[in-house]
Amino acid sequence: MKKVFKNIVLILSMFIFTQNILANEQIDLKEHFLKKIDKIVLVVESDTLSKSQRNNEIINILEPTFDFELMAKLSLGKIWKTISNENKKRFVKLYVQRMKDSYSSKVDGYGGEKVEVTKINQVKSNRIALITDLVSDDKTLEIIYKFYKPKKAKLDKDLWLIYDAEISGVSILKTDKAQFREFLKTKSISELMDAFSKKS
Amino acid sequence: MRLKNYLFVLFLSFNLIGFSSLGAVETSDDMLDEFEEEMVIEEKYDPLSGYNRVMTSFNDTLWVHFFTPVTNGYNAVVNEDIRTSIDNVFNNLYFPVRLVNNIFQVKFVNASEETGRFLINSTVGVLGLFDPAKSKFDLQEHKEDFGQTLGFYGVGSGPHIVLPLFGPSNLRDTIGIIPDSYLSIIDYKKRGWFTLTDAWDEFLAIKLYEKTNNFSLDNDKYERIKENAVDLYPYLRDMYEQYRDNQIKE
Repeated sequence: MKKVFKNIVLILSMFIFTQNILANEQIDLKEHFLKKIDKIVLVVESDTLSKSQRNNEIINILEPTFDFELMAKLSLGKIWKTISNENKKRFVKLYVQRMKDSYSSKVDGYGGEKVEVTKINQVKSNRIALITDLVSDDKTLEIIYKFYKPKKAKLDKDLWLIYDAEISGVSILKTDKAQFREFLKTKSISELMDAFSKKS
Repeated sequence: MRLKNYLFVLFLSFNLIGFSSLGAVETSDDMLDEFEEEMVIEEKYDPLSGYNRVMTSFNDTLWVHFFTPVTNGYNAVVNEDIRTSIDNVFNNLYFPVRLVNNIFQVKFVNASEETGRFLINSTVGVLGLFDPAKSKFDLQEHKEDFGQTLGFYGVGSGPHIVLPLFGPSNLRDTIGIIPDSYLSIIDYKKRGWFTLTDAWDEFLAIKLYEKTNNFSLDNDKYERIKENAVDLYPYLRDMYEQYRDNQIKE
């Protein structure tokens, strides 16, 4: 009888322990994320940097948090596996550059908005979504940052990495995936890449 | 692990090192499959895609070559506070649309908040020119239209339709414009009750002005959205459908 009781206590304490770890993990991620945002805001608001210096700084802060390469791969969906290694390499490079350019230009529109984390969702042990509000004087914009935890931490990268963001319910990755799929129905992958390089 | 499996994994890792610029070894194809399920986007039935593409480029030309230069000029002449106030007035006029659709979707708290907003902004806010309901009373706006009401009761979006001037829409949301127009003081038909506009041309003129004024408040928003498009029509289409799905879910 005593043994059964002991086992129950053991299982229960293990359960509480893992729950605690999960909760701590979420809080750690939230704190880490907000720290990053603070850093970026500092850079954006500093007057001493030139525009390109500023953009470089921001990318340096963001780079460890985002898995741009995974995003590149996922944006092609099933097509990814069908293209040549050479094209894979070039596609990832161009996609990552496109993402970085896009973030830099978004920062140009920054006007003192505040970021608040309103909810944390953990659907799986290796997925956390931070639901945030971007609050300005007259508007609130909901942005969901989706993180995953790679099985093995990557070199020069955070433990948790962003692989998608949803702005007012619009997923960056899904939108890209849809337009690439449509584009590739009538055109080739190299035409898609040409379209990228033309823009930048 | 059996040798064969081991060799396979080894082969896979080498392959990954080969094509990834930073050597992200652990992004195996298995992991991609795991994400694949999450990233499923169904290919929607799109019978009007031919027309939609033409209308998308028409709207694009209109927005880039008409609204952008016009609003640039407008912004230079009219102060931002005035433009915000004009936008507030229009917004306030659409209160009945929001009220009724909130009630239709059994969102009674939101409906009462909307009513409070209308009463405060129409009086203290001088006919809706200002928004003290939000700034002083923290009453938030709850935008709901009949398209959302239909979605709330499970009506699917139907085929995507790009409307001239107004941009992306779908069958459900386009049909929703009709009941909403009965509740709107800015309408395209002569009604038995008071409306600001009684005919198509008056309606279009006012709508065009409302759009221009609204566009002027953030007139590079469209350019910012467009920036990441490689194929504008499916890009805007999917953004719109995702956006509406999210609004209906809320």
